[in-house]
Amino acid sequence: MSSTTERLIAIVAEQLRVPSEKVTLQSHLLDDLGADSLDVVDLSIAIEEEFATDDHPIEITEDVAAKMLTVQNILTFLQENGAA
Amino acid sequence: MADRNGAAPRVVITGIGPVTPIGTGVTAFTESLRDGRSGVAPIRSFDASDLKVRIAAEVDDFDAERYMSGKAAKRMARFSQMAVAAAHLAVEDAGLDYKALDPDCVGVVVNTGGGGVNTVLEEQELAERRGVQRASAFFVPTMAPNMAACQVSIELGLQGPVVASVAACASSITAFIDAVHLIQHGEAEVVLTGGAESSLSALAVSALANMHALSRRNDDPQGASRPFDKDRDGFVMGEGSAVCVLETLDAARARGAHVYAEVLGGGRCADAYHISAPEPDGSGAARAMRRALDSTNLKAGDVDYICAHGTGTSLNDAAETSAIKQVFGEHAYRLAVSSPKSLTGHLMGAAGAVSVTATALAIDRQLLPPTINLDTPDPDCDLDYVSNQSREAPVRVALANGFGFGGQNAVVALARVAD
Repeated sequence: MSSTTERLIAIVAEQLRVPSEKVTLQSHLLDDLGADSLDVVDLSIAIEEEFATDDHPIEITEDVAAKMLTVQNILTFLQENGAA
Repeated sequence: MADRNGAAPRVVITGIGPVTPIGTGVTAFTESLRDGRSGVAPIRSFDASDLKVRIAAEVDDFDAERYMSGKAAKRMARFSQMAVAAAHLAVEDAGLDYKALDPDCVGVVVNTGGGGVNTVLEEQELAERRGVQRASAFFVPTMAPNMAACQVSIELGLQGPVVASVAACASSITAFIDAVHLIQHGEAEVVLTGGAESSLSALAVSALANMHALSRRNDDPQGASRPFDKDRDGFVMGEGSAVCVLETLDAARARGAHVYAEVLGGGRCADAYHISAPEPDGSGAARAMRRALDSTNLKAGDVDYICAHGTGTSLNDAAETSAIKQVFGEHAYRLAVSSPKSLTGHLMGAAGAVSVTATALAIDRQLLPPTINLDTPDPDCDLDYVSNQSREAPVRVALANGFGFGGQNAVVALARVAD
């Protein structure tokens, strides 16, 4: 597992208060991990904070956040935005 | 909801859930009252080393996840977590199978002073660090002052009236008055009633210290809260929650529940004087005590014990003593007065519920809680304050007082129920 994936899983587990063993790339935030709309907002903020660097800020807009339904979706976003 | 005779139903306390600096759960809390154990200590939850006041009454060992999931705890401010914990402890103590009740019949009145004010401070600090555009989606529904009551409702699945009102340090006395009304007017059959407060911060402590409201006895934390003592110099800020189960006497008897005490009634009024100082002659406090008596069939001479507001400030304790004399005359010298705040510190919006809880226990156990640190009597405070040691005594009728910033005065009357 790459360190990006590990970091991502740790953040998802912490924000959604689930054991990290329960979080996989296939996990669906709402259906599998019990997130609600408020959790998804704060999770986006936490991801922005974790993966942004001074010369490479990350922004997850509301439109993008609305399509991030699985952990894999988030990882793909990070890879496509040069953060992974 | 009237009984067979058309009278309003009698309302009793059948369960107690304290989450306090002197103990969590009724056994620990009762033992601390009995033994005169103080919960005041040097501040641990933030760095107070540069502050004028460096002591407080914190709940050290509070573990929210004993009472709720991590997910639930994360979306609650500490005052709400404590209220939920206290509610669970109360229904367990009452032996109340609340899940078997019609949820629409169970109400919640859990009041607060400052609500989630610390959440505001924390989120503001985060916003300054990472940009205000990154405001947490949880900010508003966590800090709102109604959330202690609402989280009790959510976590326990209670769908009757949910009330969260404010009266500063009188807040959780008024909670009991409103809860009795809900039951007597047929709006609920059971009400989880009390208060919750967790607003300790460097800002709050400094501000209160600058008002000269707080004791500066930093070198003797356990001796700092000294209501009615000549050398008192202010209150000690505390945090915590206390919730009680209130239901009708008929329902309590039908299910064989233990009854601590009856809540006979209460009274409230305003000083119309000052935002923080009480009316110095205590006339506002006196009127509230008279209203409490008038709401019942009691006469002044019936009262055995007054659980005082007794904050340990120079102003309150003198004014409250004067008020007691105005209402009770010579009988003021026969009844007992004590302040649990000498042990617990001042739990602000939750203080009233702590007082009602301590009073219900006094009635149940026939044991008066002490006012500790009463070493040197103040000539202006010359009543029987149950100094330093708890004392067995007949306690049939008692009052619990709460007087808040802004001049809100509230008093509840409780009595022993004959078997």
